[in-house]
Amino acid sequence: MASVTADSPVKPGAFWGTRLLSIVLALAFCFGIGAMEGSIPPFAFRILVLAGLYVTLSVSLNLINGITGQFSIGHAAFYQVGAYVTGFLTINYFDGQPLTAIPWLVIMMIAGAAGAGIVGLMVGLPSLRLRGDYLAIVTLGFGEIISIVTRNQKALGGSYGMQIEPKIQAPWLVWLLAIICIAVCRNLIKTAHGLPFLAVREDEVASSAMGVNTTKTKVTAFVIGSAFAGAAGALYGHFESFITPDMFKMEVSFIILTMVVIGGTGSITGSTLAALFLFGLPEWLRTLKGADGNALQIPAPQVIAALFGVVVFVACARWVRDRYHEKGMKLAGAYGSAVGIAVVASLLFRPLAALIPSMAETSWEINSLRMVIFAVTLVVVMLLRPEGVLGHHEFSWAWLRSLFNKKNKEVQA
Amino acid sequence: MSEDGMTDLQEEELDRADLIHSEGGHVLSLMDATIKFGGLTAVNKVSFDLSRGDLFGLIGPNGAGKTTCFNLITGVYKPTSGEILFHGKSVAGMKPNQIAHLGICRTFQNIRLFGALSSLENVVVGGFLRHKTPLLSSLLLMPSAVTETAELREKAMHLLEVMNLADDAHTRSRDLPYGKQRRLEIARAMATDPSLILLDEPAAGMNPQEKEELSTTVRRIRDEFNKTVLLIEHDMRFVMGLCEKIVVLDHGEEIAAGGPDEVRNDPKVIEAYLGEAV
Amino acid sequence: MDLFSPHLLAESGINFSTLPSQLVNGLLLGSIYALIALGYTMVYGVLRLINFAHGEVFMLGAYTSLFVAWKQGFGQGVSPDQMPQGSWGLLIGMMIISMLVCAIIGVIIEFVAYRPMRNQSRIAALITAIGISLLLQYGGQLFLPAEPPPSISEKVLPDSIQGSYTMNLKKAPPQLVADLDAAKTKLQEIKDRLVERTTAMGISEFGLPDDDPDRVAKLETQDLVNRLNPQVEEQSIAIIVPKGQLVMFGTVVMLMGILWWLVMFTKTGRAMRAAAHDFESASLMGINVNRVVVITFIIGSALAGAGAMMNAVFIRTPLTPFYGFMPGVKAFVAAVLGGIGNIPGAVLGGLVMGIAESLIVWVGYSEYKDAIAFVILIVVLMFRPGGLLGSSKVEKV
Ligand SMILES: Nc1ncnc2c1ncn2[C@@H]1O[C@H](COP(=O)(O)OP(=O)(O)O)[C@@H](O)[C@H]1O
Ligand SMILES: [Mg+2]
Repeated sequence: MASVTADSPVKPGAFWGTRLLSIVLALAFCFGIGAMEGSIPPFAFRILVLAGLYVTLSVSLNLINGITGQFSIGHAAFYQVGAYVTGFLTINYFDGQPLTAIPWLVIMMIAGAAGAGIVGLMVGLPSLRLRGDYLAIVTLGFGEIISIVTRNQKALGGSYGMQIEPKIQAPWLVWLLAIICIAVCRNLIKTAHGLPFLAVREDEVASSAMGVNTTKTKVTAFVIGSAFAGAAGALYGHFESFITPDMFKMEVSFIILTMVVIGGTGSITGSTLAALFLFGLPEWLRTLKGADGNALQIPAPQVIAALFGVVVFVACARWVRDRYHEKGMKLAGAYGSAVGIAVVASLLFRPLAALIPSMAETSWEINSLRMVIFAVTLVVVMLLRPEGVLGHHEFSWAWLRSLFNKKNKEVQA
Repeated sequence: MSEDGMTDLQEEELDRADLIHSEGGHVLSLMDATIKFGGLTAVNKVSFDLSRGDLFGLIGPNGAGKTTCFNLITGVYKPTSGEILFHGKSVAGMKPNQIAHLGICRTFQNIRLFGALSSLENVVVGGFLRHKTPLLSSLLLMPSAVTETAELREKAMHLLEVMNLADDAHTRSRDLPYGKQRRLEIARAMATDPSLILLDEPAAGMNPQEKEELSTTVRRIRDEFNKTVLLIEHDMRFVMGLCEKIVVLDHGEEIAAGGPDEVRNDPKVIEAYLGEAV
Repeated sequence: MDLFSPHLLAESGINFSTLPSQLVNGLLLGSIYALIALGYTMVYGVLRLINFAHGEVFMLGAYTSLFVAWKQGFGQGVSPDQMPQGSWGLLIGMMIISMLVCAIIGVIIEFVAYRPMRNQSRIAALITAIGISLLLQYGGQLFLPAEPPPSISEKVLPDSIQGSYTMNLKKAPPQLVADLDAAKTKLQEIKDRLVERTTAMGISEFGLPDDDPDRVAKLETQDLVNRLNPQVEEQSIAIIVPKGQLVMFGTVVMLMGILWWLVMFTKTGRAMRAAAHDFESASLMGINVNRVVVITFIIGSALAGAGAMMNAVFIRTPLTPFYGFMPGVKAFVAAVLGGIGNIPGAVLGGLVMGIAESLIVWVGYSEYKDAIAFVILIVVLMFRPGGLLGSSKVEKV
């Protein structure tokens, strides 16, 4: 795939044609999503909508974390601000104003973005003096402060929550937001304007020596990133119509972070795919049914054996990565063997795991394994490929074309 | 908040034009520049002047305070006392990015490229400070932003050709060999279109032939691109053959100044370098 | 507006007579934060890594103590009278086992997660740490008992440190106390008489007519007691501390003393300080940095284990798998507040954090007591990024 921007700059020629086509396709896609309502089961539809929100969240966090290199781990806070600000506005001002539901929702989306953007500015400002790990803790702290304050505000429903009336659901708008978010971030790194952001990530001292206003760049990233999260929050609040502080727990921040990290810090394609995959996987697992028709129960020894298999796999794969110097099929074969060894080890370990007292009879609902799966994935990706699955790579039409050309050449040869 | 307004930029441009066309004065003057780190005085009352078109050398043993001088001039550190004038305007205490806008740019002794970016992108970052389109037009991919990007890339490509790096334009800068990284740093600094360029040990780690080429390039920078050059270098032959004026630092103090021959025969300089191979 | 009018103070819940008690509480709580903060600060000093999983090590230490207590007959289902006698031996045993288990867990984490990341960017290492922390929390949720949150029975304490210790700083005026005592005695007398009369008549107190002299007297005396009680309370100042917590404080001081000796006066300590000063150079100078890192993790985690055991036994917060998160974050803030990498700083920071927290509770905003840590953190980082005792270094270019 193409490296960030250099090899596939936007060409001034053939510009409007491609552009128009993209816009039409995007609109058609959103319309298609909207049209699906009713034709697929409600729970599937709900997942589709939430997945769109997570795409927005993960791509917008990627702008802050991956592209600008500012390690923020409190993204759910901005999501929450968007939801609560617009929830409050809708409850108090929807009645008696002339707009119908959808235009109002669009305005709320903008209001949520503005509210979260302002909070993002407030978080961004102190962050200017901080690097890396300190910033991480501060963003975590801001998230907690926002959560604690919400819990103690009667006007916001306290820890009980807030009922947003009327409920306004616009799935197409959710996906439109996601597409806008992707487009904006992609445009940024496709034009020269994105380079200062990447430069700040790479080396702050050098970028300021090159005339980059690092302060402004970081704050800009924070504001844009949190504004998108706020817009997503606005849509989420109106979609669910009942919001509680628990819906924006630190857990949510960590899930979004995991998506960005696994997708590949800086890769918009990676964030998008990781959001879809990591959001979809547990939801899909949740739909699995056991033999008795209830939610699928996983026996504890199996989980323990699987964890053991993961450990074995990581050890083998690291060995292959660091010590095995072949390329191509041989390398693939080596990784394949790592998987094989891990599976065998896991199978062999299973009876042993059952010997652990009280584990033999225990089993867990698949849903309760969700966060464990996330945590394990996070650690495994870090140990094997710290730059994330896609690294700094992006999907592009040029890349797709080059793939085809390669195939054609091979065929001709 | 999110964008530098056009007015800011235009003002800056005017400032810069004013500065550069204020004929007669020095390009850069250090007046008793001093900085202390706790108990250590890394640079102690250093004064020297650069005139337009100078090819100026700053030498001295390891730890003499040369890099720290660069850091003072480019705003990485603020001098504890003393003045630094650029075209007669005080730059002491300004932010590095402001100073870069005024027209001073540098390279780093311990190469600081944007490792994950390609050579071309590194140079575009340098050229970016003269951009004109607002951020919003880039976010919305307006034609103006697209055109500007193409222009910046073209200029950057040209600089890469000058530095003989055109073949590596799309290579990640992290993956370049050492000598090329050094040249890429110069290209990146040149892209900011400075009137004064500071080179911190540009020949370090190069073989004799590469050094020869570098000499030619530095002269070209001065003669063809009309830059004033201030450089730090350890290789005496390199410095003596290239620079017309030289200042020698030792333990943060200025111990000698003058032409290459003057400096070479100065007993203080010989003493300072005793123990090091001259 | 007069901010300090008694009326406003009373309304905001401020009561100066409870201040000394709260300060002491804060100090005791702070000593535990300090103990955890030491682990953060030492690891950060050597590896420049926020050991996010340190709070989870603390949590596992508390569970270890819980399991030891259960094994010794202080289990959940057991009724208090059937529990064995608590003893010093048991307490010391719990502490040592908890320290051992934590040290082992700390070293395992270092070995499987942090060591492989040593050459990666600091952010990658931090993400790994976050991952491990999440894994222990949510994995713990699967394996550890959490519903209802268990806590260690008070019975594990030996008799000599059961109950609490009261120190009177200021007594109420004797006249007032005497009045109150008299009123109380009188009230008791009336109550006794009433009981005697009603049992003799076979009716309840309310069977008597409303204007029965004893009933009227009872109401009046009750009123008097109710009036005098707060007066006496407000005018006397006492510090009440559970005896166990005093033992805890003493132990913390002792552990810190041992740590100080280890770091300052032993060869290992010198190696640790060298590695903290400059990891690269230390390894070039022939210091076995891997050994130093392992020892750092052992010491830091063992301190967390000791803190966890004491927190579980003497402060008795109920345990959940997420039990380590807040103390962990607060201790980290304490370490930053004192100047990260700085050992006395961590102690100072911990105490300040504890006291700040109890002051927030004292002024009546207990619901914000978890937020205060972050507020302190942000303020410190903005105005004194090097912390109270640390110095902020300029990055060399
Ligand atoms: N940020 C800093 N903090 C403390 N000391 C510094 C800092 N920067 C430079 N120094 C010290 O100043 C002295 C001069 O360093 P430098 O200018 O890098 O020397 P050189 O002449 O070799 O470039 C050295 O002793 C160095 O350790
Ligand atoms: Mg130097």
